[in-house]
Amino acid sequence: MSTDAHVLESLSAYALGCLDESEDRMVSEHLAGCHICRMELQSFQSVADQLALAAPDAAPPPELKRQLLERVGSLRTVQPKPVRKPLFHFLSLKGALGLLLILALLVSNFLLWRQVNRMAAVLTGPQGMRAIALESSTLKPDASGFVIIGPDGRNGALVVDQLPVLDEERTYQLWLVSNEAITSAALFSVDEYGYRGVRIMAPESLFVYSEIRITIEPAGGSSTPTGEQVLAGSLFNH
Amino acid sequence: MKELDDASLLRLIAQAQIDAFGELYDRYNRLVFSVAYAMLGDQSTAEEVTLDVFVHVWQRAKTYRPERAKVSTWLVAMTRNQAIDVLRWQKSRPDMASLGWDEATLKQKIDLHSTQEQVELSIQREKVREALARLPDNERQALAMAYFQDYSHTQIAEALKQPLGTIKTRIRTAMQKLRQMLEAD
Repeated sequence: MSTDAHVLESLSAYALGCLDESEDRMVSEHLAGCHICRMELQSFQSVADQLALAAPDAAPPPELKRQLLERVGSLRTVQPKPVRKPLFHFLSLKGALGLLLILALLVSNFLLWRQVNRMAAVLTGPQGMRAIALESSTLKPDASGFVIIGPDGRNGALVVDQLPVLDEERTYQLWLVSNEAITSAALFSVDEYGYRGVRIMAPESLFVYSEIRITIEPAGGSSTPTGEQVLAGSLFNH
Repeated sequence: MKELDDASLLRLIAQAQIDAFGELYDRYNRLVFSVAYAMLGDQSTAEEVTLDVFVHVWQRAKTYRPERAKVSTWLVAMTRNQAIDVLRWQKSRPDMASLGWDEATLKQKIDLHSTQEQVELSIQREKVREALARLPDNERQALAMAYFQDYSHTQIAEALKQPLGTIKTRIRTAMQKLRQMLEAD
């Protein structure tokens, strides 16, 4: 948590999403416990939401509508599980090309994804990277997720799927649990499919934590877990 | 179909009404494509993002909640998120010289068949553009890089060869001014 009284000076940039990682994390943690800053953030978020309206006017080619209707028509006919380009939905992880490879392999390979879920296994990938499946709660049995941790424990990513879309008053919060403390590592929302990829930002190597939890918290997050737990898993035993 | 408001269209789309979907596309394809192209700088990629956004609308129309946001806001948010994912995956940024705020007071055509939402959207677009036009060039440039290109403070400072503190001040000042102008009646 920030030791400053407030983080007002950083909120406009936070609304734009252009803070550097360490500052972004500091502001996120502060917002979890500061109603004043959350209210201030809302006003800047409203401004940020309107900026897209100033994009230079451009029009797609007329045939794009035909392509769209054909694509939608094929969905209506076959009714498959929605196909998406998983690569476009992942966050880039700086200096962690191996993590991207694991993510691409796991998500594009549906059978392997199912295997990870069923076995609740810790899979070891190339160069010592690990994939750990999370277990859903009885309240959200359809939800699934896994954690990817780099070989040195300094880089990690969380991928979740089929989590319920929350209203504006609530958010998902990721917690890292060690013997000494429970640390907030990320706040996130999910897309229409209940899917999200999130970079895990921890103050220490992820190897020091024994457990990961995801709970539902008020918008802006909480300083400690207060809400319903939806996913959890053991990381490493120490 | 043209007389229906956006929320009604979404309800029909949730019932797999293709005509309603076509109408929604007619209303917002330019907005979605404009945002995608402004962020990506590439015609074909922007087209692909536009298609993805509207396919998502078709598949997830039932998740739209009118009390949370306008349809235009919902579409723009999806577009920006998709485009950011592309930018991060590509690990590249389009040439900033080719992009910029639309400073001209281009008025989107409002024909007799425009819905109330489209009229309001057009008015809001003009308001935002006029507010941006009143910012100094350096503030507007930093803001564009942050919003449309997903640049961090540090990346903007490096790209523009400016001190980090200067960039932070420019963005903060620009947002404060915009908030004041856009909140004013």
